Amino acid sequence: MFRPPTTLYLRRAALALVQLLFPFVVVAILWEGFAIFGPFPPRLFPRIETIASAFVRLVVTGILPLHALETLLRLAAGFLLGSLVGVTMGMLMGRYRWAEDLLVPVVSVGNAIPGLAYAPLFVLWFGLGNLPAVLLVGFSATFPIVVNAWTGVKAVKSIWIRAAETMGASDGQLFRKIVLPGALPYVLTGLRLGLARAWRVLIAVEMLTSVSIGLGWLIFGAREFLNTDVMLAGIAVIGLVGLGLEKLVFERIEKFTVVRWGMLER
Amino acid sequence: MKRFVFGTAASFGLAAVIWEVFARSGLFSPALSPSLAAIVPALVQMVVSGTIFVHIGYTLYRILWGLGLAALVSVPVGILMGRYKPVERFVLPLVSVLSPIPSLAWVPVFILWFGLGNAASVALVFYAATFPIILNTWTGVRSINRIWVRAAETMGASGGELFRKVVLPGSLPFVIAGLRQAFARSWIAVVGGEMIAATSWGLGWVIFDSKEFLRTDVMLSTLVVIGILGLAFERLVFQAVERRTVGRWGMIRTAGA
Repeated sequence: MFRPPTTLYLRRAALALVQLLFPFVVVAILWEGFAIFGPFPPRLFPRIETIASAFVRLVVTGILPLHALETLLRLAAGFLLGSLVGVTMGMLMGRYRWAEDLLVPVVSVGNAIPGLAYAPLFVLWFGLGNLPAVLLVGFSATFPIVVNAWTGVKAVKSIWIRAAETMGASDGQLFRKIVLPGALPYVLTGLRLGLARAWRVLIAVEMLTSVSIGLGWLIFGAREFLNTDVMLAGIAVIGLVGLGLEKLVFERIEKFTVVRWGMLER
Repeated sequence: MKRFVFGTAASFGLAAVIWEVFARSGLFSPALSPSLAAIVPALVQMVVSGTIFVHIGYTLYRILWGLGLAALVSVPVGILMGRYKPVERFVLPLVSVLSPIPSLAWVPVFILWFGLGNAASVALVFYAATFPIILNTWTGVRSINRIWVRAAETMGASGGELFRKVVLPGSLPFVIAGLRQAFARSWIAVVGGEMIAATSWGLGWVIFDSKEFLRTDVMLSTLVVIGILGLAFERLVFQAVERRTVGRWGMIRTAGA
């Protein structure tokens, strides 16, 4: 029998939705079962409706958005700092031999130390609050950015550089028109990794440097009062923000720049 | 090689000089930014008295348990996802929602569930390590050349043989890459976890505890130890494993030397 195509689409969409939701339903049922029959008291392992109502309450009263905004601002400041320092250092390392010789060993040891390990030191140096948090986030984000920018510049085909030189490109032109676009796919990968790392560190940093408002602090503070529902609602928001950063910010930037220039196939 | 040695020496030399200038500049008091003359003895003292090895032991114990359990669970999950579509459809949405949550966000919850101490740290490392392994293994299995699988089937390989001789080695470069990423993440998680889920041993705990006593020399020595250990794992363990297995089988090019 002939079936109008719209219903077919709808059926397919509905099927996809069910498939997507099915795992979450299963996990939710398991969670509920564990919350009711498991060994933990409900204070420690709240049921989903408790978490959901805490979530709604925190959103409606504006507490959660406020914390999320503070955290995002901190992330933006730290990440900006890290990317400026990181891209500059990486480009220098890629272009100049002396910079490479001097910086590579320090960067590779520094990269192996979790940025978080510096947190107590930064607290002693810069006090509690925003300054050490932002600096630490920037510091942690710098390493993946440096490494990738450096690799990117080195990966620029030397034929392109020679061709540009032959055609009389000045240093500035060479940099703007060849090195920068050539290295961009790597630089973007570095920025992406840097942002991911900054995000991971920031949440923990907020717990350690006792900023006054922030998602990490919200979760950590909630522990004192055994507000497990608030903690889990906070974690859910953290996951949503992380997912959003990845999907909305980076995939889009990549599409608009390197894919458009035909440097990466999509 | 000669250039590498000189470069490295110059690099660390310069870093040391910059630190010395910074430490003695009076920008921060010497208690906050100790000079190398204070850091080196602190490090030597920790090594001689052996405390640093106990801390290293605890940290490694946590990270190896967490990483080991994660590998034990995640590699099979990743392989099943790569081989069977329904498993992929079930697991992938969960993984993509859970993996952007930084493991350290779970610390307060894990403390409540598992108490302070080893269990919370191991759980944390497990959480941090599991997603990179799953995702990489899954990619690895899907990237196996179709022709290999068909060829093996045509030559009458049984399910077990197909798995052992084609699927497993074929996806191994990705599995190792996943383990590597997992280690990098666990390294962060374990240090952070030890700071917050305070126990009484572990490299992260030393750093955090030294803050109370303003022992910045101990903090900085521990940072150095953490850096060296992290680098050693990356360079010695993972690169060696890579060279022995997939490098040797000619599946990837490994960096020489």
